[in-house]
Parts: sequence; structure tokens; C-alpha cells
Amino acid sequence: MEELIRSALAAADGPGVALVEVRVVAPDRFLQIAVRDGAASALTDARRDALGVRVRTDRAYGFATTTDLRPGPVRDVARLAVRLARAAGRRAPEPLRVTDERGPDRGHYETPMKRDPFRTDPAMVVDILRSAEAALHVSREIKSALASFQAWDEQKWYASSGGASFTSRIVHVGAGLTATAVRGSNLQRRSAPSSHGGNAAQGGFEFVDGLDLIGRAPGLGQEAVDLLGAPVCPTGPTTLVLGSDQLALQVHESVGHAVELDRIFGSEAGFAGTSWVSSAQIGSLRFGSDLMNVVADATEPGGLGTFGWDDEGVAAQRTPIVDHGVLVGSLSSRESAARLGLSHSGGTARGSGGDRSPIVRMTNVNLEPGDLSLEELLSGVEDGVYLDTNRSWSIDDRRLNFQFGTEFGRRIVKGEIGPLVRNPIYSGMSPVFWGSMDALGNSSTRHLWGLTNCGKGQPIQVMHVGHAAPVARFRNVAVRGG
Amino acid sequence: MAVRRDARSPGEPAKTFGRMPDGCTGDVRIIRSAWTTIRFANGRIHQPHLERSTLVSLRVADGKRLATATGSDASTAGLDALAATARAMARVAPLEKRFPGFPRPTGRSPGAVPFSQTTASVTPEEATRLAEEILASATARAPGARVSGVVNVGGEWRRVANSSGLDRTTRTSMVQATVLVDRPERDPPVSGWSEGAHWNVARFRPGPLGEEAAERMARTTPAPVEPGPHAVVLRGPAVSTLLSYLAYLGFGGNGEVEGWSCLARKRGKKVAPSTFSLVDDARAKETIPSAIDYEGTWTERTPLVDRGVARDAVTDLLTSGRLRRKLTGHAQPPEAPFGDYGPVPEHLALAAGDASEDELIRETRRGILVTRFHYVIPVDPARGIITGMTRDGSYVIDRGEVVGPARNLRFTESVLTAIAGTTLLGKERRTYAGERPGGSVTAPAMAVRSFRFTSATLF
Repeated sequence: MEELIRSALAAADGPGVALVEVRVVAPDRFLQIAVRDGAASALTDARRDALGVRVRTDRAYGFATTTDLRPGPVRDVARLAVRLARAAGRRAPEPLRVTDERGPDRGHYETPMKRDPFRTDPAMVVDILRSAEAALHVSREIKSALASFQAWDEQKWYASSGGASFTSRIVHVGAGLTATAVRGSNLQRRSAPSSHGGNAAQGGFEFVDGLDLIGRAPGLGQEAVDLLGAPVCPTGPTTLVLGSDQLALQVHESVGHAVELDRIFGSEAGFAGTSWVSSAQIGSLRFGSDLMNVVADATEPGGLGTFGWDDEGVAAQRTPIVDHGVLVGSLSSRESAARLGLSHSGGTARGSGGDRSPIVRMTNVNLEPGDLSLEELLSGVEDGVYLDTNRSWSIDDRRLNFQFGTEFGRRIVKGEIGPLVRNPIYSGMSPVFWGSMDALGNSSTRHLWGLTNCGKGQPIQVMHVGHAAPVARFRNVAVRGG
Repeated sequence: MAVRRDARSPGEPAKTFGRMPDGCTGDVRIIRSAWTTIRFANGRIHQPHLERSTLVSLRVADGKRLATATGSDASTAGLDALAATARAMARVAPLEKRFPGFPRPTGRSPGAVPFSQTTASVTPEEATRLAEEILASATARAPGARVSGVVNVGGEWRRVANSSGLDRTTRTSMVQATVLVDRPERDPPVSGWSEGAHWNVARFRPGPLGEEAAERMARTTPAPVEPGPHAVVLRGPAVSTLLSYLAYLGFGGNGEVEGWSCLARKRGKKVAPSTFSLVDDARAKETIPSAIDYEGTWTERTPLVDRGVARDAVTDLLTSGRLRRKLTGHAQPPEAPFGDYGPVPEHLALAAGDASEDELIRETRRGILVTRFHYVIPVDPARGIITGMTRDGSYVIDRGEVVGPARNLRFTESVLTAIAGTTLLGKERRTYAGERPGGSVTAPAMAVRSFRFTSATLF
């Protein structure tokens, strides 16, 4: 592999080229096993190995990639990356500035794990999934059930013409259950441990063992059926307690994306959108209540956004984003950090594979816990709702107006969790919502979640990111039944 | 690189299938593609991207137990390796009792679909010039405004073969562009949008897209609009999003199998006015054409809503077995995550009406003109309810005229309510596509009697 990389570096080097970076991801492997209604919904062992060459001139970047890892095609794409960078830079109004960082001389990062999921017997995994899926069918009203397992293996080689290099092997693993109950046009879903594929983490098969899919399946199926007969969630402003799972997605959509520096600078205006935050406000903007502390932590053990170095060779960091409600940081790459006037990148430039260029991505963007137990937090609620497990999510292109639906809700009456309500939806404006947070659960309510479906970039890059969040309480939130 | 006219894959699927043990069958997809993506933002080209890829996806059925392996080696040895991996997985797979087997190559070819070699072979410099043309036209029309967007151009060659003797190919070429013109310094910011796609770069005019986006950007300050039900005129990009969700929630095969299709109990019934006719046609010259789906079934024109009446959901091999219906040629790659997207109509065309945009606005009298939607997602699939925001050019209509820009709103509405309330359809249609040729929507603008907006944002 080193020889192939050297050949790509040499082919791209030439007059006007300031830096060449070569990244190979091989294998880039995705294993999925899913059982739906007793049949194989998906049994797939997918590899998409690729090499990417990014070239920087004094005016622009150019990126070219191939899945053909033979020397000839690799040299071809290296030269094409140079042509792209030159074409892109010919009318650039000003030079391209980046932070002055070299990267590691030689480094290696590897996911700590006990049981490599790619060495696990697939027959054993199928048995677990079949048993769990069957146990979801507690009633004839369960019209569909799904049990799924996924594992990702990314082995990476990175080298630059500046002399930096590192290798890594990062393994992610996840699993989940979903029961769908239908009565007429009333459809209810319950998922565990989370929706949209379950939960995922960096680690080995021991993470799946810890989920106890078979044990939790009957209760989950019953909850889906119970929701069919539950009253619709009441409508009106109320006190909202968000479970850790839904709060993680709230952090993702209304904090994480809003503080991506490329969005703030308008680089994503044509696709993902921009941000209600301006670069001049970093350091002074009131983002939420005094209780709000958010960090971007690429060193969080088990996080999907944990790594050794990002795809520009910048070391993983823990960066404060919101400190006691004030915006103090952002997510950045070498280019966006330089534009902000920073001397160092935040180390969050990642590509979703060897075939994608690094762009600013979340790492593990975590809401820090407070000091209340769940009981203490609930005791302050005279009348409200507890919502958890995402069902729908949408937010405007400046990350202000959001609306989330959750799979279930429970009334809270006089500090006690009460009966189920169905089709709950809550909405708000990001700074108002975060400003209304008046209680945070302690570390016993904190949970680390893995999101495997964060889309950004053109061509699209689906990235894995992590979010740890406790339980939290918000006052006067618009809640309704859908 | 080129997706060459005479492209052939080096591997011989028939040999691989022939070496599999008794009781094992299979199919394979070999996809070679070459794409260039030129993004622009803040008035300059950024993140230009060029990719050459080969993807091989081989599915094995061990009796009625199925599994898939993918890789990028299309040689016979590569196919053999994938077959071995897939077989090992298939042996432990749960039984797919209604798997109908891989289809034989029956029927005559309906013929090739339009393809442009020039489009599939565009150079980095030519692709960059397309982006520069948009930048120049938008800047000329809106001096000082910020211009962002993307050009995607290239082609794909796909071969699908199976152990029953089917062996078919198709080629697809596409150029697609989007452009956003905005003034972020204004309070609130304002923006305008345009987009388009064609299979032939020679017939694609990027400059007018930049001009149109600039013209759609508000000149004055957008005014807040009270949420609630409003009549709307939806421009093409907004209609395209609405139709894509109607296709997924109402005509997807998996929704039918699993009982969550919003049209499950409405087949053969009137769901829209008689002027509303929606087809799926991957062979139409105005779409981004494809001759076969990902299982090698010939694509064909499939009525979805025929003069207001809802027709059947579409199928692939597995859903045709589970629903005991004929194959309609709408298979996705079998390695799609969780396999839960299933067959979906992806070459949609809504019949045009006879109204100009001015006439749509005049007849609507009072309501909102919407250019496009943003971040749309299902809220309640069984009822067809989706939510999302308006974006990049919303205007207040009063007394049949556009009277000023509107701040953006969130809608939460059923696609069924929307199409049932169609009052007029535009006469001009345009094709909208994603960044890669997974499909396209050819649609006019449309007027809808009532559309429910549930909250407002600050810009």
C-alpha cells in the first residue's frame, strides 16, 4: 500500500501544487444482517475500497478518487486531481488560506474491542436476530417487525507530500429492534435502543451483547400495541422532559450543525444550508441557559466520532462549544479555521470513505450532564410530558425552526410518570428552546448515542457521529398531537 | 474517463453462476461510473470532485435463502470471490418463502434509451466551465449577491445478469445543476433558487438557471405570515419533492407489504382531480433514462395516478413474490441499508396542465407562492403526513398577484390532502434530478386549494 501511495503522491506533485494528500480506505466494509417478519431483509457483506487524492494549489483544492487500486488508474486520478484544482483556481478571487499544521510523522489508531464483529459467526447473529424479531410479534396488530445488526470496518492509510502519515482501523457496530403496529390508518412504531437502526458505537460485538435484544423485545412489541389505544398527545405549551435518546438528536440538529464553520461561512449555503450563528458571535452569543455546556469530543471512548487524526492529519481534540450557555467554539477544518483567524484546526474534517473529500463534520458533540437524578428532575413538573425515541425530524436551513416527532410520550403529573400518549410532536426555535432548559439530569441519566445517517456534502457523504446526552427539562414548549 | 460506448465488464457472470453448487442461483450488478461534481460557494469553485468507480453487487440464493456481497473487482475471479462470500452468508439466512426465483430473459427488448457519450465524457475543465457559466449569469443579474450551487455531470454503465440466463445492460448520462443566490447580510436574509437536469449536456443551458435563481430572490424585506391553512402555488422544485414523497409513501412496494402505505386502502379510488395524472417512466426522453432496473427487468411506463385514480404499488423480485404481483421493474440495489426502502417509482412525470405561472397565481387569488421545500420527512407514513420548511423564494399572493416576499414557514400536511386539493397545473414542465441518476421528477408548477402550515421561522 505504501508503494501505491508514494506513486500517487509523486504523480500529483508538480508546479503550483502546495500539498498532496492521499487517503486509502481498504477495506471499507459494511456488514449487515436484518431479519424482517421472519425472512432475511438484508444479509450483505459490502466492500467499497477506494483511494482519494486531494491536491491543494495556492488557489483551490481538487479531489479525485478511484476504486481501482492498481498503479495506473491511481496515477491517472492523481493527475486528474491536479487538473481539477487548477481549473477551480483559475478564477478564484483570492488565495486559499489554511492553518499551518503538518500532521503526525507516523501514527496509528485502532478501535479497542474484545470481540471483532467481523470474526463473529453470522449464524449466531442470525439466531439472535430471529429470536428477537419473533419476540416482537406479541399481537396480530404487529404488522411488521425488524431486528438488525450492522458492523463497519474502516482501515485507512493517510500520507501527505508534507511528510505526514498515519494508519488506523476503526470498527463500528450497532443493532436495533423495531415493531410496527397498525390499526386502520393508526400506525405506531416502537424501537430500541433507538430508532433508525438502533444504537451504534465504536467497539466490538460485546456492544451488541449488552443490548439484550431478545430480552427487551416482548415489552417493546407490547408498547407498540399499547400506543394504538393511547390518547393523542395533548396540545399546548407545556413542560417537556426529553429522554437522552431524543435529546441527542436535538443536540445534533440544533447545536452540532449550527456550529459547523463551513455552514457559518456560507460554504454549504447551496445544499445543507447556513447557520443562524455568525462567526463574529463566537465568544459572546447567548446560545442557551446557564446550564448548557456542550463539547465536541473526538476522544470520547466508544463514540462514533472518535479517531486518532482527522482526514487532514489533525489530531483528535476535545473542544468546548457552549460554556454555561455562551457559544465559545465551533467545528472546523484547516481552511475554515484559517478563515476565522485561528492558528489550529479543530480537527473535524472527515470524509465518509476513501472516495470522499474531507469536510467539516461533527465528532462526538455532547451535552454535559447536570446534577439532578431523574426523580429530582421530574419532581419539578406539575403537569407536562416525557418524550423519547425519535420518529420524525426536520429543521430549517439556518437551524432555527425545528419540529420533532417521537415514538412515544408519557404524561407527567405531579412529578410522576403517567400513561402513554401517541403521536407527540414538539417544535420551537433553537435559542429560545435551549434558553428554556431549566434542569439537567446527572451522569446516571447520561447515555452515549451513535448516529449513522448524518448526510452532508456534494456528492453526499453519510457520516457516523456520536452524541452523549443526559435527560433534560424545558419549560413552555409547543407540544401537540399529530 | 469515459463510460465508453463499447464498455464491457471483464468478468463472465455465467461462468461464476455455473460454478455454484446445485440449488444455488444468483444475480449480479456491475456498475461502472464516472462523475464530476463542481461545487461553488461564496463566488468561487470549491470542493471539486471527480470519481471513477466500479461496483459489483452479487446476490446468491441458496434455495430460498438469500444474501448479497459487494466489491469493486469485476473480473471473473472477483465475481467468484463475491459468490463465495454471499453463499456463506446465504447458508445461514432465514427462509424467504415467497422468493419467486430469478427471472428468465423473456420478452423482447423495448429498445435502447437516450444516452449522450459527450455528457458521460465531460472533462474536468468542461465541467468547471458549466459552473462558471452559472456563476457569471447569476452575478450579472444580481450584482453583489452570494452565489452557491453545484454541477454534476457524467455517466454510468450498468450490466445485470442472472443464473437464469438474463444478461442486460443500460447506460445513463446526466448533467444536473442547482443554484442559490442569496444576500446573507440582509435582515432577514433573502435567497432565490433554480435547478434543472438533462441526459444530454448539449441541450442543457446552465446560464438561465443562474438568472432564474437571481430573479426569484426577494428584492424587499420578507414579511411574517401567520401559520395555518393557505392556498399555495408550488413551483416545480416544490412539486418535485411532494411527488417523490407520494411515490415513496403511496407507491413503494414495501409500504404495501408491511401495511403502512398511505394508499393501501385507496387503490382504484379517486384521490385527485381528473386533471392529475402521474406516471413512472424511465424510458421517457425528458427523464434521466434507464433501460433496466437493478434486477435487470426492462423498465416500462407505469401509471400511478390515472386521471385522479390511484393505481397499484410497484414491485421488485421480493415484493412481487410477497404480494403475488407481476414485476414492474423498480428494483433498488439489494445491498441498500436494512433493505427497507424497497422498490419505489423513481422516474416520475406529472402531466402538465395549461396554466402559466401568472395564471396559477391569478386563479389562486390569496395564498403563498412556494419555490421549494427543505428538510422534508415523513411524520405519519400511513396517513401520508410529511413536514418540512419552505425555502429560497416564498411570496404572498393577494388578489391574484404577488404582493411581496414571505418569511419561511413549516408545513405539516398529508401528500394525499395536497394532491386531492390540486386546482390547476402549469403548462411548462422541467426535469429535476438528484446528484446521481437514481431517478428524476418531471413536473409542472401546481396550485393547491389548502396546505397546512404549522409554524413560522425568523427569515
